[in-house]
Amino acid sequence: MMFGAAVAGLLVGAGEARADFWSDAAKGLEGTTIHGVSESTPPSNYVKDVLAPEFTKKTGIKVEFEATSWDQMYDKAIKDMEANTGIYDFVYIEQDIVYSYLARNFLVDITKSLAEKPNLKSPDFDPAMFTTFVNYFKNEGGDIFGVPMEAFIKVYLYRKDLFEDAKVKDAFKAKYGYDLAPAKTHQQYKDIADFFTAWGKDNGGEFWGSTVQAHTGHPASWYEFFESVAPTFGVYNWGIDPSKNYAASVANGGSMNSPESKKALEWWLSLLPDAPPESTASTWDEVAATFAAGRTAQGLVYGENAAWIATNDTKSKVVGKVGVALPPLEPGVLEAAESGKGYIGYYDGGAFGIPHSSKNKDAALLFLEFIAQPSVQADWAVAGSRITHQATYDDPKVVAQDAKTDGYYSLMKNDGRLFAGAPPYPFHAQVREATAPFFYQAITGELSASDALDQMAAAAEQELTKLGYRK
Amino acid sequence: MRPQSVGWLFLAPTLFILFVFGVLPFIYVLVVGFFDWNSFAADPTPRFSGVNNYRELVFDTGYLMSLWNTLRFGVFAVVSEIILGYALAQLFMRNFPLKGFFRTIHTLPLMIAPVAVGATWRLMTVPGLGPIPYYLDKWFGIDFLISRYPQQAFFTTVVMDVWHWTPLVTLTLLAALSSMPKEPFEQAQIDGANRFQTFWYVTLPMLKPAILSAVFIRLMDAMRTVDEVWMLTGGGPGAATRYVGLYIWRVVFPKTDYGYGSAMSLITLYLTIVLCWLLYAGLVARRDLRRTE
Repeated sequence: MMFGAAVAGLLVGAGEARADFWSDAAKGLEGTTIHGVSESTPPSNYVKDVLAPEFTKKTGIKVEFEATSWDQMYDKAIKDMEANTGIYDFVYIEQDIVYSYLARNFLVDITKSLAEKPNLKSPDFDPAMFTTFVNYFKNEGGDIFGVPMEAFIKVYLYRKDLFEDAKVKDAFKAKYGYDLAPAKTHQQYKDIADFFTAWGKDNGGEFWGSTVQAHTGHPASWYEFFESVAPTFGVYNWGIDPSKNYAASVANGGSMNSPESKKALEWWLSLLPDAPPESTASTWDEVAATFAAGRTAQGLVYGENAAWIATNDTKSKVVGKVGVALPPLEPGVLEAAESGKGYIGYYDGGAFGIPHSSKNKDAALLFLEFIAQPSVQADWAVAGSRITHQATYDDPKVVAQDAKTDGYYSLMKNDGRLFAGAPPYPFHAQVREATAPFFYQAITGELSASDALDQMAAAAEQELTKLGYRK
Repeated sequence: MRPQSVGWLFLAPTLFILFVFGVLPFIYVLVVGFFDWNSFAADPTPRFSGVNNYRELVFDTGYLMSLWNTLRFGVFAVVSEIILGYALAQLFMRNFPLKGFFRTIHTLPLMIAPVAVGATWRLMTVPGLGPIPYYLDKWFGIDFLISRYPQQAFFTTVVMDVWHWTPLVTLTLLAALSSMPKEPFEQAQIDGANRFQTFWYVTLPMLKPAILSAVFIRLMDAMRTVDEVWMLTGGGPGAATRYVGLYIWRVVFPKTDYGYGSAMSLITLYLTIVLCWLLYAGLVARRDLRRTE
């Protein structure tokens, strides 16, 4: 009798046994192929190379992951959603474009979908575990429309080895009368840039004082100014004020062509002679590559590159020599950021969302939950210097990587609150494209900083009027 | 079934494809050109705006500048390609060691996708990495920086286009040269014509149809160049290489201004047709008319 009960117990137990959530939830979806498009970045490539194959192994759902250029990624995703063709089952939503997508109702409400289909809801998926970055992907009701996959701040990287070199320090102090240290002000940054450019010439090497993301025909330069430089001078939200009828010009209540904005652009343009010649052809990737190649003393670099620049000696020549700090600021800007009235730089990142046009929404939902698991976050953070979960900061692997990157992760944890994403404008690309031509002309010297910003403010207002936002 | 019906039956698939992929999109663009339509506007619904888009582009200095740049680009590129293509075609008419190998190598650029051509040229022109700035500086002391100097950027796009498309002209002219009868040349030799006279009065008239075909094809291509230039310069520095194709692309895709982009596309198509017609009228029709008089 005892034996019979034991056998019965085992059988019952066996009957209740589940392989795991992923294979159970994916029943009936095996063999499905989901297609996704993303920008080719270290975090995206980690998804493509590591997480997607793991997901396929556990669920039988294949993932066709297209990691392409930033322009192509936008172009393909928007066209697919606009035409409702359903080519992509998940798309990369950059933090700055999400408002445009929400305005057009392009995206599936993930919170609602998971509530409607509890069998697809992973026990591991808890929106509360994300950092506050997830708020950028919520609607007014708090529903999530994108699962954060990368989040990082644009930091000030500098050559720690040179900044700590006694001879260099002495020479700097002799020339400028104060100690060489990571710049806290714009004037200090410019002094350091001038100093190292001259130092590079004297030492006969290919070395300059600063990186500048100043492509003369690519939006990257526009973003460098409005997202990373202008806020450090106290110009926020691209200088457009929604509360004043989306005014951009000072005359109408905006600040795109304010004295602070003009000072910021003049300062940024003044760095061009201190930057390597490739700077006027540099986008975000090239700026990171320039710094990693050991060609500059300092620069503002997207944090997603911090880990590989500081640790990967197959790609970087400055491993072990990288210092990380906050960007230089005008007086009062830090205080404004700390009080929540401003910000000091760009909190960049993105999420994966599901287009309404997707033909495999259930499989895509599972994939998004899979990449949101706490268990995959630490390795992903180490590989791509991105953090989307609060707990990831304390993972031993991340703590170890933090030490190798001069505290990049700690900086993001402690001071990330001082940075901000793009303003919640649904007309993101439209205003950028309307104003960028004048901006490029400022870089080439065809327009002065002042004239360029005056024309940009006028063009922005004209475009906003045309789009119907400015009445 | 009557022979005429059979003919139509065989043509039907082609006509169907042409209608679906040629005529219908054209009609669609034509219609959209009369609307204000931006998917990210406060009201994304298309609104009929009559000829407003056409009126607007007459005053759009960006568009006019891009047209002017494209015209300059087309003239420089096509003239260079015709001269170089003819010289190479003449070279390949002769026998020399490894002729087949060189002809194959010469044709290779044609097989490369424009976007890859742009990426390759970008790599070759990036300072600190590319060989072009390095050797121009080392040998001639030239500060070559296409992301800074508009003229350098413009001529680099021309050279890139010439590198990519000259083989097409070479092959076209080579085919034409190969099919020429020998008699007129022998006759010219008997008449004592020198090399220039033979070229001017015998070769050139017989080559004219092939040259015109090459000019028309290349000119139309030049008017819609996007991907190569996008990869190389992004249209910069400033607006120096923002050719009309690139300008329209920016308006239609990043700016999502479909109505205005459609209007610009149609006007650009119309201008291309006019340009080709002027060339035809100037080079062919006028001479034919003189002959009949």
